[in-house]
Amino acid sequence: MTSGMPLFFDVVGIFFILYMFGYASFLFLSVTVGSSALYKNQQRAQLKSELAGDYYVPVTIIVPAYNEAVTICSSIQSLLALEYKLYEIVVVDDGSTDDTARVLCETFHLRPVNRPIQRKIPCQQVEAVFEGHHNKVPIALIRKANGGKADALNMGINAAKYPYFICMDADSVLQRDALERIVRPVLEEGSVIAVGGAVRPCNGVEIRDGQVVSYHMPHKLLPCMQVLEYDRSFLAARILFDKFNGSIIISGAFGLFRKNLVIDAGGYDTSTMGEDMELVVKLHVFCRDHGIPYRLRYATDAICWTQVPEHLDDLCRQRRRWHIGLFQSMGRHRRVFGHPKYGLVGFVSYLYFLIYELFSPYIELFGLFTVALAFWVDLINVPFMILFFFIYVVYSAILSLTAFFARTHTADLHLTPGDVCKAIMLCAVEVSFLRLILAWVRATSLIGYRRKKADWGTITRRDIKFQ
Amino acid sequence: MRMELILYFYGAVCVCMILFNICYTLSLRRRAPRMARRMKKLAKVTRGHLALLAGGQQRLPPGEAARLSRLLGRRWNLMAFYRLLQQGFQGQEAARDAYLAQLQPVFLSLAMGYLRREPMQASYFVYVLAQCWPPRLTATEALQQVLLDYLRKDNLYCRLNTMKALCRFGSPAYLVQAVQIQDDGVLVTHEKLVTETLLTYTGDHQQLIAALWDRLDRFTPHTQLAVLNYIRFRSGQWCRQMLALLVQEDRDKETRLAAIRYFGRYPYPPALDHLLAFARDRTPERWAYATVAVAALARYPEPRVVNTLKQALHSGNWYIRSAAAQSLDEQHAEYHQLLDIMAGNDRYAREMITYHLQIRQLRQEEARPE
Repeated sequence: MTSGMPLFFDVVGIFFILYMFGYASFLFLSVTVGSSALYKNQQRAQLKSELAGDYYVPVTIIVPAYNEAVTICSSIQSLLALEYKLYEIVVVDDGSTDDTARVLCETFHLRPVNRPIQRKIPCQQVEAVFEGHHNKVPIALIRKANGGKADALNMGINAAKYPYFICMDADSVLQRDALERIVRPVLEEGSVIAVGGAVRPCNGVEIRDGQVVSYHMPHKLLPCMQVLEYDRSFLAARILFDKFNGSIIISGAFGLFRKNLVIDAGGYDTSTMGEDMELVVKLHVFCRDHGIPYRLRYATDAICWTQVPEHLDDLCRQRRRWHIGLFQSMGRHRRVFGHPKYGLVGFVSYLYFLIYELFSPYIELFGLFTVALAFWVDLINVPFMILFFFIYVVYSAILSLTAFFARTHTADLHLTPGDVCKAIMLCAVEVSFLRLILAWVRATSLIGYRRKKADWGTITRRDIKFQ
Repeated sequence: MRMELILYFYGAVCVCMILFNICYTLSLRRRAPRMARRMKKLAKVTRGHLALLAGGQQRLPPGEAARLSRLLGRRWNLMAFYRLLQQGFQGQEAARDAYLAQLQPVFLSLAMGYLRREPMQASYFVYVLAQCWPPRLTATEALQQVLLDYLRKDNLYCRLNTMKALCRFGSPAYLVQAVQIQDDGVLVTHEKLVTETLLTYTGDHQQLIAALWDRLDRFTPHTQLAVLNYIRFRSGQWCRQMLALLVQEDRDKETRLAAIRYFGRYPYPPALDHLLAFARDRTPERWAYATVAVAALARYPEPRVVNTLKQALHSGNWYIRSAAAQSLDEQHAEYHQLLDIMAGNDRYAREMITYHLQIRQLRQEEARPE
């Protein structure tokens, strides 16, 4: 038993060296590529190498809502303030038990109509349709039987009149120029079938007429750490994947899709929690299986402000849902992994998500367990372990800060010295503590997940400061 | 030891990142004052030039032109010059335009210089031309000729900005050449971008349309579609030619659909029979023609059109039914005219027309003063 221990720890040690080397290299690569892409975009904007002008592709904005009476009006008002000229708004009320529909009808003077909706993708029955116009923008509210977010989105796609649709969350607001910017890749490249927008935490941000008038790091620590996490993990990594058409996630909070292709691919999968990721992987598979030239893009300057959880239990619930969604999507499309037909999507993107997203909480917890075990059998070099951990924290924290500063510099957001101090202090806490807590949450998320299939997974909402 | 090397390597990465963040933050702080200094310097040069021209000089002395070329050959100076033109001449647009007209040799020299630069800088140069060049002031042949070479660059923005600059010059011959060059297949420019760019043309649109129409068959169907859409937005005087195009069975589908849309915008009685034929066609593969024709018929208020639209309401295709109901609504068809549909057995037709009648009522209520 004791003779096998050193061998066990040697194997574990080699595994973790490779694991950490892979993670550190990916982090370095993603932050470097992500930051340089942001600076390059800024340079492009300065040199007017971007589409500016009245180029409009008709777009339907689909807002699925479930018990969103508190935030829905702010969200719709933000949509009505958009600079874009050719869009309609379709709100799908997925059988809310609160006043979502009534609040909307009263605020925007919506009237009942008998609108025929072509059901190209299966979804629950329509209960009622209300329509109206506000600032010449058509607004439709569709009330339907409860079927989950994916089902609500499918209903929205069926009701959409325009060839492109945007899915967004009811608790998010779009920046004034977000629509114009998310549409640009479609005009730049004919083969673009989907574009992901940049989702940023709005806690601490004041938005007026769709523009940020004051930007601060949130007062509470938890959202503050999520700001850093969003910039490092989501922004930087997605820019890197975008470079080789390997994005397998477009956030459900803000993404643009070509409608006919989504319909042909079967729409959102109502049986998964991560319907946004599942759809993107499905589009990869569908296009490659049918030999359709396609491109998925990420628009870093199309910004959607969203509320991140301010309480730990909300955050844990959210991450649990995300992890289950990841597990379901990856399981459903497991044939993508390593299959030459799917190119780098199967070899790089899928592999990354498998090891560093899906399995990472288990690997990290196993790592902690072996550290404790090694300490117990006195087979660990404690000063070296502490040094290693210190280097890891500093390294991750600095890369987080680099991504964060790249984001704020290039978005013309001005930070106060207090915000900078907060970011510097919290990036280490985020890496060393929050990450471990979330690893535990994700590791335990798959226990009993089948019961939560069509759950909306609500978090505590506040009305967004939108004027 | 190897392990420590890896740690040192990552430590070095951290240090580099910190240095990068500090340097970038500092450079960001200095950017605005530096730009202000450049603008001040160029304003002084410009004032000198304006004084020379006001003093009776017909054109800039060659030395001054060469000096300005040298200065503007630097991208940051060109940016400062652009800002100066935007901000420094407010209320003196005529003086600015007269000054820019004198700078043609400078711009020619710059055009040749920036042509060799990387696409982003080349694109910025043509952007400045497109934004600042006095409208309808035809540039020299040499400058326009050089600009055509910018269109051969494999960069969308460079191509679009060049086309916009040529639109600003107002010379149809060069613009048609530009449309031809961008249609080389190396880079497919979205037809909306081509259409919108052509719409910014500052010269005589009829002349441009005539020149484009002469070359229409040399363009790919993609560019043909962009040109036809441009014509639709700009002129209703091309009905005869559009009809000739519409009846050509071997034409690309999208170009024929564009022709049908043209007749939806500009009613043309000789086209009506063709539109009715498309609208009555129930071949499933030709549903797109039927849908667009049914939508176009909204502008032809005749009993036989109403009958065709009512028949189209019974189509098995959702889009045709929807377009037919929309057209009947636009023709202000009254309830009694639609009684046969409302009392008929076709639920889909009834639902569609009921919805559109409700929408009309909502519109009327919204338009009514409170």
